[in-house]
Amino acid sequence: MLSIKNLQAKVEEKDILKGLNIEVKPGEIHAIMGPNGAGKSTLGNVLSGRDGYTVTGGEVSFLGKNILEMDAEERAREGLFLAFQYPVEIPGVSNLEFLKASVDAVRSHRGEEAMDSMTFLKLAREKCKAVNLDQNFLKRGVNEGFSGGEKKRNEIMQMMLLEPKLCILDETDSGLDIDALQVVAEGVNSQRDPNRSFIVVTHYQRLLDYIVPDFVHVLADGKIVKSGGKELALELEEKGYGWIENEGA
Amino acid sequence: MTEEFDQYIKSDYEAGFVTDVESETLPPGLNEDVIRFISNKKGEPEWLLEWRLKAFQVWKEMEEPEWAHVHYPKIDFQDISYYSAPKSMDDKPQSLDEVDPELLRTYEKLGIPLHEQAVLAGVANVAMDIVFDSVSVATTFREKLSEAGVIFMPISEAVHKHPELVKKYMGSVVPQKDNYYAALNCAVFSDGSFVYIPKGVRCPMELSTYFRINEEKTGQFERTLIIADEGSHVSYLEGCTAPMRDENQLHAAVVELVVLDDAEIKYSTVQNWYPGDSEGKGGIYNFVTKRAVAHKNAKVSWTQVETGSAVTWKYPSCILKGDNAIGEFYSVALTNNYQQADTGTKMIHIGKNTKSTIISKGISAGKSQNAYRGLVRMNPSAEGARNFTQCDSLLIGDKCGAHTFPYIESKHPSAIIEHEATTSTVSEDQMFLCQQRGIDPEKAVSMIVNGFCKEVFKELPMEFAVEAGKLLEVSLEGSVG
Amino acid sequence: MTEASNAIVSPFTQSALDFVKSLEVSGDFGEVRESGMAAFESLPFPTRKTEDWKYTSLHALTTQDYNRPADNFDLDNASELFEVSGLDAYQLVFINGVFVSELSDEISEAGVSAVPLSVASDAQRALFKQHVGNIAETRRNLFTALNNATVEEGVLLHVEKNVQLKKPIQVINITSAQQQTSSAFARCLVVLEQQAEATLIEQFVSTAEEQNILLNQVTEINIGDGAKLNHYRLHTEDESSLHFGGVYVDLNRDSQFESYQIALGGKIKRLDVVVNHNQAGSHCEMKGVYLPKHNQHVDIHSYIEHIAANCTTDETYRGIMADQSKAVFNGRIHIHPDAQKTLANLSNKNLLLSNKAQINSKPELEIYADDVRCAHGVTVAQLDDKACFYLQSRGISRQEAEIMLSFAFINELLESIPVDALRQKLRPLLAQQFTSNESLTQHILDEEIGVCSEGAL
Repeated sequence: MLSIKNLQAKVEEKDILKGLNIEVKPGEIHAIMGPNGAGKSTLGNVLSGRDGYTVTGGEVSFLGKNILEMDAEERAREGLFLAFQYPVEIPGVSNLEFLKASVDAVRSHRGEEAMDSMTFLKLAREKCKAVNLDQNFLKRGVNEGFSGGEKKRNEIMQMMLLEPKLCILDETDSGLDIDALQVVAEGVNSQRDPNRSFIVVTHYQRLLDYIVPDFVHVLADGKIVKSGGKELALELEEKGYGWIENEGA
Repeated sequence: MTEEFDQYIKSDYEAGFVTDVESETLPPGLNEDVIRFISNKKGEPEWLLEWRLKAFQVWKEMEEPEWAHVHYPKIDFQDISYYSAPKSMDDKPQSLDEVDPELLRTYEKLGIPLHEQAVLAGVANVAMDIVFDSVSVATTFREKLSEAGVIFMPISEAVHKHPELVKKYMGSVVPQKDNYYAALNCAVFSDGSFVYIPKGVRCPMELSTYFRINEEKTGQFERTLIIADEGSHVSYLEGCTAPMRDENQLHAAVVELVVLDDAEIKYSTVQNWYPGDSEGKGGIYNFVTKRAVAHKNAKVSWTQVETGSAVTWKYPSCILKGDNAIGEFYSVALTNNYQQADTGTKMIHIGKNTKSTIISKGISAGKSQNAYRGLVRMNPSAEGARNFTQCDSLLIGDKCGAHTFPYIESKHPSAIIEHEATTSTVSEDQMFLCQQRGIDPEKAVSMIVNGFCKEVFKELPMEFAVEAGKLLEVSLEGSVG
Repeated sequence: MTEASNAIVSPFTQSALDFVKSLEVSGDFGEVRESGMAAFESLPFPTRKTEDWKYTSLHALTTQDYNRPADNFDLDNASELFEVSGLDAYQLVFINGVFVSELSDEISEAGVSAVPLSVASDAQRALFKQHVGNIAETRRNLFTALNNATVEEGVLLHVEKNVQLKKPIQVINITSAQQQTSSAFARCLVVLEQQAEATLIEQFVSTAEEQNILLNQVTEINIGDGAKLNHYRLHTEDESSLHFGGVYVDLNRDSQFESYQIALGGKIKRLDVVVNHNQAGSHCEMKGVYLPKHNQHVDIHSYIEHIAANCTTDETYRGIMADQSKAVFNGRIHIHPDAQKTLANLSNKNLLLSNKAQINSKPELEIYADDVRCAHGVTVAQLDDKACFYLQSRGISRQEAEIMLSFAFINELLESIPVDALRQKLRPLLAQQFTSNESLTQHILDEEIGVCSEGAL
């Protein structure tokens, strides 16, 4: 599914990722944990092709294709989905208009027929319900005036609509209370599929109680310094990141 | 309610005394001979005399600007004396000890630290240049400064000692034909300060010039030139006062700042020229051109506290020429009685990623008119440039005016400009709350005004911030019935 | 600011004078014409040094003569130019300033006069004469002076006390392409008596060819005590058009003026909007969008005069400048000494889409009363990178993302238009300004999913 080899990247002349390796197979859930400033969010941004993040070395192959050469929208159409840590508000663009444009683009890329508006509307309402989001949100501006939890649920709803192959959840748990966290986790779990993989980026172990990973990687100073099973997350929770960093040193 | 306010804000002008020294003063009038006289008096080289005469030609062909939101009777430029100097200055005193004690007492009375001992004793870490009417009477700490390579002297002296610097930079920021008053200044400028900070030097102390108009019917036309060479840093302060006189006096200065790559100049002004009496009689016409050119990575910061003058016309500006240059303008302008102010800034963005910030606080009281006028221009080359402007007005009483005239011009899509302006008043509710909590009304107005100006005061060097606060209080004080 | 005396007698000025002299004197409007003429002759021709014309060059007017337009218009397909489907309104149509009865409605509602002057009754003309020129002041604007000097044809809309106009009045000004450079004049006067209500839609359209014609139009509006006018001014002429327009409004006690202005660009398009809060309690709400592209130029000057106390103004303008276009926005709010308790707000936001586009914005506050709350804010920016990336990360192309975001920038104002039919007419019209590629505008225009489709959910 996804193969990252020796990935190096910088932001504003500062090296953030310094040789990162990960292999994700279909159906797997990988958790990436690490202290603040380790490069966790950079990874998501680099993979999804954000401007300002310069790849200085290494390879990323997604479903056998080199995605580093692709624009952000091409990667999305290939099936790579980033759930943002801080989804941006876009007043004046309705959520529906935005979702339809997005679904149309992805479907057309897959060679599927465009969905007519009524069918789409029905689908969107259904997904809204699944993440416990009031349907009124569909009419409002994208994320405009949404609470933190509503923004995150909106992200998960988009994921459900777009049916991506690889989902990167960038600190989706940040700022969520336990109820909202459960809703988000249920949404994610409902999307688990032998052909769909997840990278769950988080600072805390808490989320992993609900979205149980197959592998846990610890990212520190731009590299994976330790990998293991789900029990590694518990160990980290107990001992703190200092433990890994000391061990690495 | 209005009358109530009025009494809190009647101002006492404490700097309004006259110094009794014998002066040599030219009779009123302006012609080429007057210019030759000034130039000759200062023993200027031929090139400078020619420069002055050329400016005079330019000036004669220009028209007095009338676009500002100020009204005053037409100035008779033939009724002004263009040169006045204390006679005791004829022999050019070599040190403070040789300066006429009457002159020194003037500055003592004004609270200006002239004696180096006092300064060293920790009163303030400031080197002073003192300009009295048309001449510089003293410059302190010259030795200490020269150890650091810093040149700080009257511009009349710099013409002789550093002609190459003066020749290269004078008129390079504000050209002779820039505007009517700048042209006039070029023709008749008397004295002023000259500063050069060498490459990489951080000036070891604050530099300051104190301007004083004393003689009747004279105009003051000083000229300041500050050059901060690459990577240097200087903080410069300027203060000004004049005696209370019934006729209006003209002050038309030019200040040029050259800020080379990676250098920084912080220029602070506390302007307290005589504002005229409560009937609007007398006071200084303060028509000043101040401008800086900031080269690559350079920074210019203008901070001004304007409480004096009958009419103010002043726009300290920044030409952000080099990439990443930064311009700042922080201003408090208080007008009272019949004062009129039209002041603001221009930020001309030329270089890439240049940034500017404008914070302007206007306070209008009495029957005064206070206008902010500003220009933010993003040239087609100003990729990634940014400006933020906040202009607030506070009205005290219903007979005054507060005006905002911002010009916003953008020719680059990646330039970002944000401009905000608000107007508020010291409301009866606020006053009542303070009074109900036992604060006397005068203190309440002063508190509210000081709070309103806080963002600007914090930009002033410590010594000046205190002075500025006091000055505002004086302008608002002494009058609670 | 003193002006140099009128040194330039431009060909425009000269042909305007000739035009005025050629007018058939119908007698009853002599007074306003003469004072307009006097003002026109005394005003200097604006140059770049004239503050109100600082950013708009009238050089184009100084190179050609201006003639009376030829009557060359084919009426058959005219309605396509202005029809708003689904809008039930009374239509009054003028072509190059001349009334066209074939395309217009005869309006007979009790308590309402809505007639072109050329067919108005003596009583109606007398009413027009009584009001015309009272609000449209000539000291600021040469073109308004000229319009006063040429008063002849136009619209009178008078609504009596307590009467609500049942349908909107749609006044359509069409210009047609001319062989010779020409100028046309039009006028509109609206008088709403106490507690009256009306909706006025002023539409400026043209044929699609190179226009070669200048339209000078002035609308005067007097809104009586407690009365309310909803006003729309839609400028969608061809980009070669020259338009000099003025809207002058007097607000009386507790009256309301709600105005929407949409302006696509032209060769020169200048609109002055002057609103006088003459009596306490009046409210003015103005929303405007300007969208120049190519080499177009749009200049909107608004002057809000708060003369009486307790009045409010809420002004929002958005502009998007593409290609080499240039826009000028001047928003002046003037609080007179007795206008205590005024609340006035102005917001102007601008988006530059190209390296060659320009915006010059000048919000002005002139305040002579202390117990007031006034504010203005101006921003100039480009599209938000973060928002663009968000859309792209969902598979939307950069191009479509930019169009969606540009449209979003004006959408809020568009959505606040209460007349559905107008909104639906304007959406595609404005969307087309960004691209002619329909696949890129399909989502913003999709009726089922757009934000305006309340019924869809």
